[in-house]
Amino acid sequence: MRVTKTNNMARQLRIATTAAAASLLAAAAHAAAPGITGTSFHLDAQAAYITQPDGASIYSWGYGCASPPGGYAPTAVAGATCPDMQLPGPTLIVNQGATVTVTLTNSLPAQAGRTSMLFPGFEVTASGGVDGLLTKEAQTAGTVTYTFKADSPGTHSYYSGTQSDLQVEMGLYGAIIVVPTLSGRVATACSNSSNDRARAHDFGTGVEQDFRLASAAYDHAATCYDREYLFQLSEIDPKIHLAAEAIATCTTAGNGGASCPANMNSVATEQYHPVYFLVNGRSMPDDMDPNYASQYPHQPYNGNPHMHPGETTLLRIIGQGRWQHPLHEHGNHVRLLARDGNLLLAPNVLEGESEPRLAGPLLFTTTTTPGQAMDGIFYWTGRGLNWDVFGHGYVGDPSVCHPDANGYYTEDPTAQNYYEWCGDHNKPLEAHPFGNVGNGGPMTLPDPNIVANGAWYGGSPYLGGEATTRAVGTTPIPPSGTIANDPGGEAGFAFMWHSHNEREITTNNIFPGGMMMMMLVDPRAYLIDESK
Amino acid sequence: MFSTRLYRCGLATLLLCALALPAAAQSFRVQCPSTTTLHPTDVTANYTGPTIVPKTLTRVDGSTYTVNYTDNGGGIKCQQISGGDGFATMADGTPLYLFGFGPLSGMADQVSGLPGTQPAHVFNQSNLLGSTVIPDVFIGAPTPTGYTFNGAVGLVPDVEANNGTGTAGAPLSGHVDPRLIMDVGVMNANMPAPLMAIDEDDEFFQTLTNVGQVKRPALFEQHTEHFHGYPKAATFYDGVPDASVAINIGGSFSYYYLAPDAGTYFWHCHISPPEHLQMGMVGQLFVRPRQNRVPLGHELYSSLMLQQGDLRTRCGTDFECSSPLPPVNHVQQTINTRVTDTKTNTSTQPQMYAYNDGDGTTAYDVEYPIQIHGFDPNFHFVGMTFNPESFSDIKDKYFLLNGRSYPDTVQPGSMTTQSTDGTMHSSQPLPTIINIPVGGKALLRIADLDVTEYQTLASLGIAMRVVGLNARLLRELAGNDMTYRTNSITLAGGESLDVILDATGLAAGQKFYLYTPNLDHLANDAENFGGLMTEINICPANLPNIDPQTKLCAKKII
Repeated sequence: MRVTKTNNMARQLRIATTAAAASLLAAAAHAAAPGITGTSFHLDAQAAYITQPDGASIYSWGYGCASPPGGYAPTAVAGATCPDMQLPGPTLIVNQGATVTVTLTNSLPAQAGRTSMLFPGFEVTASGGVDGLLTKEAQTAGTVTYTFKADSPGTHSYYSGTQSDLQVEMGLYGAIIVVPTLSGRVATACSNSSNDRARAHDFGTGVEQDFRLASAAYDHAATCYDREYLFQLSEIDPKIHLAAEAIATCTTAGNGGASCPANMNSVATEQYHPVYFLVNGRSMPDDMDPNYASQYPHQPYNGNPHMHPGETTLLRIIGQGRWQHPLHEHGNHVRLLARDGNLLLAPNVLEGESEPRLAGPLLFTTTTTPGQAMDGIFYWTGRGLNWDVFGHGYVGDPSVCHPDANGYYTEDPTAQNYYEWCGDHNKPLEAHPFGNVGNGGPMTLPDPNIVANGAWYGGSPYLGGEATTRAVGTTPIPPSGTIANDPGGEAGFAFMWHSHNEREITTNNIFPGGMMMMMLVDPRAYLIDESK
Repeated sequence: MFSTRLYRCGLATLLLCALALPAAAQSFRVQCPSTTTLHPTDVTANYTGPTIVPKTLTRVDGSTYTVNYTDNGGGIKCQQISGGDGFATMADGTPLYLFGFGPLSGMADQVSGLPGTQPAHVFNQSNLLGSTVIPDVFIGAPTPTGYTFNGAVGLVPDVEANNGTGTAGAPLSGHVDPRLIMDVGVMNANMPAPLMAIDEDDEFFQTLTNVGQVKRPALFEQHTEHFHGYPKAATFYDGVPDASVAINIGGSFSYYYLAPDAGTYFWHCHISPPEHLQMGMVGQLFVRPRQNRVPLGHELYSSLMLQQGDLRTRCGTDFECSSPLPPVNHVQQTINTRVTDTKTNTSTQPQMYAYNDGDGTTAYDVEYPIQIHGFDPNFHFVGMTFNPESFSDIKDKYFLLNGRSYPDTVQPGSMTTQSTDGTMHSSQPLPTIINIPVGGKALLRIADLDVTEYQTLASLGIAMRVVGLNARLLRELAGNDMTYRTNSITLAGGESLDVILDATGLAAGQKFYLYTPNLDHLANDAENFGGLMTEINICPANLPNIDPQTKLCAKKII
């Protein structure tokens, strides 16, 4: 399916396709940072086919579980599995200070030769296997065991250390999350926050579960968080995969009687020309389907962040390919917390404070670097827009907004406008509104007939179905295109998170696709359930 | 719970609903109020701290309520742009087809290389003098010579709203004459897209008018504006078509923002970004800090302390704090004597800063917006035809600073390109000639919009100090300086940073080069010399100052 630009219908179809794909599972597609737990993991490396949204089935190599893992986290995510091959590999979730043992069985085709795992940032002892260039390696059908102490909290990568230009491209990489040991002071500071209380409140659609692996990213009170998401960015050049597949599946008969290559040395890994650009092994829109979705048996992890206003969200981002990717987060800046598990802090402690302040930069584009992991925190509110995103100030409005020290309404975690930016409370956007929202504001909204509605457009400038329904009154904007995010459903604010080397938001030349996700800031009335 | 009424609304009802919209709806229109609830006037004023201004608002049922607005001295700024197509001239002489934005206001300033953003009273000028159209509007703005019109193209008195009594006394309420907009806006793409600049605390009304792509009548392309990097953005005004609305041909849409924290942002169309960005729909945008507006003789640090008095501008305990306090100091706001207004040979311009630094460490004498971009001529050629473009095969062959390659980057004034209608259009208004006053400082506001690869810019002989990254001052939350000296910077598409070139200790009259060490990018398609490169001049001894309007070296002030 190669998209042409000969008429508008092609474009409409594209949009409709995207919307339909997303809406199929729109009610069940949230992210978290899922993985397997324990201290001892038995992984294998083996071949399987992954799928891409253009219909391609791509021969790949990946790590998987050779035997069932000790457990899955977060426990609130149901249906967790660890197949024998997945891309990226299983996310290893371990506790700080634990001694971790990873036994790797080489189940790759014999022509692939040996394989291994590197754990950058950790002091690894390898046993078994045979000596390789960077570490001990597992021969075909053989095993090797790596042991290290998880002394560095945060997000880390692991990947193959054998013929890496081929094996990493084929998919042999994954993530490690080291859950920090929190001191009593930090644990107290990060517990029972008003966001915790809001999560525990039933806003009419049930009580939300806690999907975090911990309450803080590091043993530091400025790293408390409310939600977390892991994004591993990589790319695929299908020529390499086809060449490897041809060797792995070669038979003498099929090869015209000639003998088959005994190894992968003839697979050219240059010139490099990737056409698939992946978030957690999937391209948009597949990345917005649920974790562990049955249609992606070898790509269990998604990329589909959701959050409520004011929720501090931890982003764990890893560059797993060979290119850098500028991941642009619409909606707000990200405060970079750490690189490769190293928290970035001021060298001094200010008078009257108990710990040094954060020293990472504020970024609207978090560039990934091959092999590097970073942690950042992000949150969204409508702060400083000079209009009330809830559309308050209307006839019969009972709402209040009492600012806390930072100007937010955190006093009542059970209020629908919990975490509203009080500085703009009741300030109207529209000069002459159609429905029941404040008026006397700066703007006249456009004639709906001269604009096109996006699939994630909620139907009004306002956040939440209640506000939108009030705003559009008896003259609703045509709801066509509000399939994924309509006023009767999610009604969130959608922000695109994507590679800003824009060519990478395509799937094998088809736009849209590739490294793209829609992040939704959801009203409190919408229950964010990352478990489905 | 919210209503499911929308779903029960049948098709017939929907059609009625659509028809029930105001009969006065007009496809093209601009929005630029001369007063708002927040700002009684459009003029940006000195910053003397926050003032609470209670305002009484009336609900639709006639009841009233009071809202406290906080006035920090901002004004009302407006701009109109066209979305369409056109041509630009590459350094080897090739005219390249663009999807692009063009100026529909502030044209005199933009053709002179300045931001097109105007205060409301300049924007809101009738295009009619008596009953005839002002000639400046009629001819567009191919060259700056004698061209002075900075108002909104198309803006005319709304006769219908004047009870049929003619133009006398008819309101200038955003009603436009579409013919004027089409006359100027069609085939008038600029590369880069129109330059925008606002001050912190300003309200910014930005109207996008989609005039269609005349060269590609088969395309019904929508356009939007994404204000890249705006913190706490609103989806509705974020320009992502999937998440909001997109503007069809024949329509206008006005974006509204209260200026975010100071910094170098940028903007671009967000429709099919690999295509529309590669084709040229990329512009620059920066927000100047309120520290520029500190009254003369007042301390910068004290001013930053005043900002702590408003919850919107304070640092607090928010990890998003953009202006952490520096160590206590007593640097004062002064008149900048390195700049000269060449009309009077005097200076009345206060010292300018990149950020609210509170200590003057981001002071500069003259600023240069620099946009890094790349064009693949094959993609642009295919874009002009009816064939599908290939994204993964994009290979840039022209490497651009502000839409031009060397040596065009050092060509003074606006570049023009002949369009298919035979007329010359101002296509690339921005040279990248970096003149620095003797002993002075230039601020380079660098944004990269490339769609394929990372690009590096290096300076030969004059050190760069990187003071800002992604529109944020490089200072950590404890107040420690994180700025650094370097001789090269590397950016991906979608990143920006601020570099100060400091000529302290450098002799007058020297020339340096800003170029890319990605050596294959020093080319203009088949020409093997050119590309991503420009010149830095330290002003000569007889003209040691700079005129910040013309960016030319100037005499010392008298």
